[in-house]
Amino acid sequence: MPPASRRIDLAAVRALAPPLLAYWSLAHGAFGSWDRIAVGLNRATPYALTGVGIALCFRARVINIGGEGQLALGGLAATWVALHMVPAPRPIATLCALGGGVLAGAAWAGLAAGIRLKRGVHEVLATLLLNFVGLLIVSEVLQGDLGEPGSGFPQSPLLPAASWLGRLVRGTDLHVGVLIALAAVAVGHVALWRTPFGFRLRILGASAPAAAYAGISPARALMSVMLLSGGLAGLAGAIEVLGVHYRLIDGFAHGFGFNAVAIALLGGLNPLAVLPAGLFFGFLETGAVAMQRAVGVPTPLVAVIQGLTMVFVLSAMGLTAGRRRV
Amino acid sequence: MLRMLGITKSYGSVRANRGIDLVVPPRTILGLLGENGSGKTTLMNVLFGLVRPDAGTITFKERPLADHTPREALAAGIGMIHQHFMLVPAMTVTENVMLGWDAAGRWLRPAAVAEHIRTASHRYGLDLEPDARVGALPLGGQQRVEIVKAILRGAELLILDEPTSNLSPPEVSGLLDVLRRLRDEGRSVIFISHKLGEVLAVCDEVVVLRDGAVAGRARAADTDRAKLARMMVDRDVSAPIAREEGAAGAERLVVADLVASDATGVERLGGVSFSVRSGEVLAVAGVDGNGQAELVDVIAGLRRPTRGHVFVDGADVTARGVTGRRQAGLAHIPADRHTTGLVGDMTVSENLAFRDCDGPPFRRGPWLDFGAMRAAATERIARFGIRAGGPDVAARTLSGGNQQKLVLARELTRRPGVLVAAQPTRGLDPGATRFVIDEVLAVRASGGAVLYVSTELEEALVVADRIAVMYRGRFAGVMRRDAVDITRLGLMMAGALSESPDAAALYGRKAR
Repeated sequence: MPPASRRIDLAAVRALAPPLLAYWSLAHGAFGSWDRIAVGLNRATPYALTGVGIALCFRARVINIGGEGQLALGGLAATWVALHMVPAPRPIATLCALGGGVLAGAAWAGLAAGIRLKRGVHEVLATLLLNFVGLLIVSEVLQGDLGEPGSGFPQSPLLPAASWLGRLVRGTDLHVGVLIALAAVAVGHVALWRTPFGFRLRILGASAPAAAYAGISPARALMSVMLLSGGLAGLAGAIEVLGVHYRLIDGFAHGFGFNAVAIALLGGLNPLAVLPAGLFFGFLETGAVAMQRAVGVPTPLVAVIQGLTMVFVLSAMGLTAGRRRV
Repeated sequence: MLRMLGITKSYGSVRANRGIDLVVPPRTILGLLGENGSGKTTLMNVLFGLVRPDAGTITFKERPLADHTPREALAAGIGMIHQHFMLVPAMTVTENVMLGWDAAGRWLRPAAVAEHIRTASHRYGLDLEPDARVGALPLGGQQRVEIVKAILRGAELLILDEPTSNLSPPEVSGLLDVLRRLRDEGRSVIFISHKLGEVLAVCDEVVVLRDGAVAGRARAADTDRAKLARMMVDRDVSAPIAREEGAAGAERLVVADLVASDATGVERLGGVSFSVRSGEVLAVAGVDGNGQAELVDVIAGLRRPTRGHVFVDGADVTARGVTGRRQAGLAHIPADRHTTGLVGDMTVSENLAFRDCDGPPFRRGPWLDFGAMRAAATERIARFGIRAGGPDVAARTLSGGNQQKLVLARELTRRPGVLVAAQPTRGLDPGATRFVIDEVLAVRASGGAVLYVSTELEEALVVADRIAVMYRGRFAGVMRRDAVDITRLGLMMAGALSESPDAAALYGRKAR
């Protein structure tokens, strides 16, 4: 090979090396070891859970953007149950804490739905504003009763080990919540496409007059889909607390709720497709942390990638809008 | 002027156009006739560049037209006036004409455009005031705005899609005069319609489409209604309608003193009472907007009355919702099949099931039984002769007549005791209209009670055992079939006559 072209090759390699290194560290951070994969899967779990609920809401044209607050309250309730219940063996303690999370998330979403139905405040506004209330309640409680004395950080004491979510694979952080998320995705899919309930949601979303003509009560449908979606978000919050942090930390819900909206849309509001969308977001985020450590690429760049993905996917879906199934 | 040769277009397995030849000479009004779904709309969309044909050529004014956009069709001199007007109601006539018109210039000169409108309006007898707000014009006036838009843009071939369906009789004759003047000026017109009388009155030539192919052509002077109707549907729709004159039975639908208001709180229904008996059709005639929609909605359970009661087979259903009334035996054909009667984006089988998904056969335990839905859909597609690509195609892809058959198939296979049909033939061609009427009369023959709301008096007279006229939320009068007086009915519809009907007319006699 003549020297000139070799020089060009070297220059090309030099120019290409840093981005390739960055991508490599992103991929390595996401998939480089079983442990990294476990972290990514754990991260995707709340995304999939909350995303499925929001997809069902959006199918019925119920715009629930309160995932953040519902998730935060779910985590708070799970913490409270775990800290205050009488000592119980492992599966029972965990199930009680998870149940508390579900109920709290559902109640928070139900509150927004009630405001919508009784006071006529649009659910976009009601759910959005209740996010702030929910997050502030968590902060407030961590400053007070539920805070860990002397830690200097707004967090709860470590939860009793009996309430922790079991590990799925020894030696990694992978917890049982991943299976719960898989089950929720399957249930969401079946509910939407195989039951009268899902059929009603789809009719309501496709045409409000047709729904009235079909005898569907919009109020009942709104309330039930909001309770379901809030329950799933609350469950996601509880799993995050019981499976990852083992305590309630201020700001733990940050970003989950709104990213879940993006994931639901990315999945085309199909529960099954929400799963890969959630995994994509989860692995992208765990990889980003590694990328920042390795080559100093700031993690906010991942937010940029997520944003671009959304724009591309939604534009592509816009092109096929007429052919999609409602 | 226009030659379309061998136009072919398929949507999936449905062949909408099968090698259609259409030739429009200069100075001609050509009537394009055909049932819904016969391919008229597709053909015109091909011509206007909205749809690309699979095969075929178009020559317009000796120049080929292929792969063109609507903008290019407009520039070539083809103007299309749709059934639903493309106007901005809040703007004036002048502003609407200038909108999207390149020749209006970079700097708008409303005064000059207004002058053009005045000239054209005078020349063709359009009677348009350039400064009028379009939303304030009657539908006939809005249509003339569309016509002036097309003329000023230099259209030499005007396509009018169902131009008379929303017009009152004097407006129709005015429109036909305008079309004649346009022809005498040297322009050509394609006049798409179902109404044979108008086609014969104004057209020079007639082309009839059926099943996506040309079924016949004729000079208007050499043909008549019966011949055209036979070309259109290949069966005799003018055959007398069979109705058995049986005795009306027990009261199945009873409405007592219904009062209801619309969303803004204006009273639309001012105390209506009547009953419909087994084996009987009560037709409600009247000009649209006199409370018929509210009456239907209240009976169907879509609107709460402020006073009064509805009984189905003796049971007070006033407090029940839509589902409760359906279970009591009430079927409902809503006036708006596009957003109420059907969900366009859902499949045929989903549309056939969506009012019955709460019980067998479509619900099995907690599940929706898609197998049963598909089987029922296949069976009903065959039984009602619905032209669809199968149970899994979107309802939106069906033609208007077939969409209405879908609604009928869903509501009538339930074998309802009471049928409330609101404008069930609106926008349908003669063949589909005849189908609907036959099905409604079949419900009557099997002992059902039918409330039939129609703004077409002729049609109401065909189906009715008794005919009521609604005016301003009340019955202006009720007549028995054997005592119908058209003059009095007309006066009632116009609000010039109101008579308090006797009990026999309102509630029907027990036996005949």
